[in-house]
Amino acid sequence: MDIEDPSFWRAGAISTTLVMLVVLAFLTIDSMGYIRPGGKHVPEYDVINRHIGYQFDWNRRAAVPVIGDAEPLFGKTVTKTEATALMRTGKLVIQSRACMDCHTIFGNGAYYAPDLTKSWLDPAWQQIWIPMTGKTTREDAMVEFLMHPDKYPTWARAMPNLQITEDEARATVAYLKWLSSIDTNGFPANFGQAGKQP
Amino acid sequence: MTPDALLETAALMGLFVLAGGGYGGLYSAGRLWARPVLIRAGEVCWLVAFAIALAIAVWTPLDVGWKLLILASAIVYALIPPFTWRYLERLHHEQESHR
Amino acid sequence: MYRSQKLSLRYYTAAVALFGVMTVFGLLSALYYLYPSMLFNVFNFNMSKILHIDTLVIWLLMGFLGAVYWYLPKELGREVEGMWLAELMFWVFCATVAVVAVVFLFVQYGGANETSLWLINQGRKYVEAPRWAAIGIVVVMAVFAYNVIATCIKAQKMTGIMWVLVLDLIPLLAVYMDAFPSDTNMSTDLYWWWWLVHMWVESTWEVLIGCIMALVLMDVMGTSRRIVETWLYIEVMLVLGAGILGLGHHYFWIGTPQYWLSIGGFFSALEPLPLLGMVVHAIYDAGTHRMKTNNQPAFYWITAEAFGNFIGAGIWGFMMTLPQINMFSHGTQWTVSHGHFAFYGAYVCGIIAVLYVAKQHVSGVDVLAGRAWKWGFGLLNFGMVGMVMALLLAGMAQAFYERAIGGSTLMAFTTASENPWFTSGMYARMFFGVIFAAGYFVLVYDLLTSPKRVPVLQAQPEPA
Repeated sequence: MDIEDPSFWRAGAISTTLVMLVVLAFLTIDSMGYIRPGGKHVPEYDVINRHIGYQFDWNRRAAVPVIGDAEPLFGKTVTKTEATALMRTGKLVIQSRACMDCHTIFGNGAYYAPDLTKSWLDPAWQQIWIPMTGKTTREDAMVEFLMHPDKYPTWARAMPNLQITEDEARATVAYLKWLSSIDTNGFPANFGQAGKQP
Repeated sequence: MTPDALLETAALMGLFVLAGGGYGGLYSAGRLWARPVLIRAGEVCWLVAFAIALAIAVWTPLDVGWKLLILASAIVYALIPPFTWRYLERLHHEQESHR
Repeated sequence: MYRSQKLSLRYYTAAVALFGVMTVFGLLSALYYLYPSMLFNVFNFNMSKILHIDTLVIWLLMGFLGAVYWYLPKELGREVEGMWLAELMFWVFCATVAVVAVVFLFVQYGGANETSLWLINQGRKYVEAPRWAAIGIVVVMAVFAYNVIATCIKAQKMTGIMWVLVLDLIPLLAVYMDAFPSDTNMSTDLYWWWWLVHMWVESTWEVLIGCIMALVLMDVMGTSRRIVETWLYIEVMLVLGAGILGLGHHYFWIGTPQYWLSIGGFFSALEPLPLLGMVVHAIYDAGTHRMKTNNQPAFYWITAEAFGNFIGAGIWGFMMTLPQINMFSHGTQWTVSHGHFAFYGAYVCGIIAVLYVAKQHVSGVDVLAGRAWKWGFGLLNFGMVGMVMALLLAGMAQAFYERAIGGSTLMAFTTASENPWFTSGMYARMFFGVIFAAGYFVLVYDLLTSPKRVPVLQAQPEPA
């Protein structure tokens, strides 16, 4: 073993890289079982027909989403196909308006605006926007806000108007509800639990 | 993890690597300029790094696996500068003798 | 000068120009934090940020291309193959960037449909450029790969550095294919997106800058090929050994299995170790040539690269990499602090060194020294360190107040953003950003100004 010989280290570089890539490939295949819709951590899109909560699980030592009873979005139960179509539109809204260049999702994106992972569960909808918009349900307040965010600012950093249509807004709300049902290993921590420590 | 523990643990982690880097830098400068006092200073830096690793092990709420990893890294930090320097000298000496 | 070296100079010029654009939009983006109602509904934060981060990626990429085109003919002893195509692609690249920038400035958004993704904005970080432009980039990179590989074949010569470069080009191009899909499922979208982003900046780009630095070390410091090749192989082994599964540190919170917390945290915690080796190596090299080289600015920027990489990627990364910390720091200004420092230390310093290598050759002086480069060096480094420290302060405040105490809601976000520690960080970042920008102008001035003729140094005896 001549450590001064470059070919020794060349062999090391090649073998290390290959081994790591093989391990990554196996882990990727396994991870797909978790992250595809209907996987262990990611519910099917029609989860938007159900109530979604977030509770600390002492076995996992992390907060996990809790899927509850029926709670149709906009009062309308959707099929898997309809839900998928809503998700497609919602994701296209998020991309076409570059939402993740102000906001984060799962902590990824830009840091100028709040994280949207659990935004469906944010108390601000009940406490601030339902009164502000004059709507009676969370999802209606969300739609109204998304269509005219500049009419409903809550602080100095207001969200601009991105010309989101009503259909696009409804799809985005559906997307955000589905997003909040994903098991993110506890991110964000202590959501909505200000002052309480596990 | 409490909010205070969050900042304390993160700060200790950063200082750990900084101390390790200080050791690497001072040790190398000491070998370069043949100044034993710099090498000693570098070794002191490593002792600081090790002390920080111990502090992380004793005072932070990390799991035992991570604490062991950090302590093991501290040992590896001790080895990297002298081994790297010796290897560089060997490599260059071998290159010189080939000329 | 080889024809590809002339192309290299064009790439460098474009790179430096885009470095300036990046800086302008960086300053603008920072200003929104201080004056949030600025340009409201006219030109919002997200568009400014897109221009800031996308020009970062493009100017560094242009710097890499320029560096390879510069050294390729010298390495293989002949002109680069397919030069007319390479020259054409340069203009295609520039035109693409210009059109995309104009669209980002004046059109900005489209409806929620595929047409918007094809023509206006894809809205996925770093790769927001519309699909037609992404195709353009693929073509440019493919021609670049062709230039490199065809030249190797025609020269009937391969060096260790060239093997590493050629093999690196394959994953570099392959993972860029993730610039095209728009997966409905955010978890899978981000899973593959990280293959692009991490495997670019924490793997293939690391190898690429390693190859470039190997070529620069042989050029600027006269280091032997055998030594730089040995180091390159060691570096590839360590960087990819830790970095491939270090990808897992992006897989903590996106819906992926829990084992990524352990795997990602473990490999990511190992990443500073090779960087420490690089610091030792940098000091050794500085000493071997007794700090005297015929290109002082290039030498200083190479050394800054080693230190900046260790501190920005090593220390800053290590601070926030364990899941227990990252849970709170992820997606805060702490991340911004690390990102700026790591990109700067790992890539910006190295590209600037390459620019000075070109300057020396173009100006034909035996020794490149002077005063202006020192001002540029000082201002850029001081500005960057200041920005990073300011962002660290703001980020720690954010992790503490918004996440740990506040519970990450909108109100927690708002309250933390109004916290004096946070706002002080934002003001300080602006201040140091201006200093950084001043450093940029001095850098450009120095690169464009003819150097004074400095007497050739006496030959120094080699250390025993």
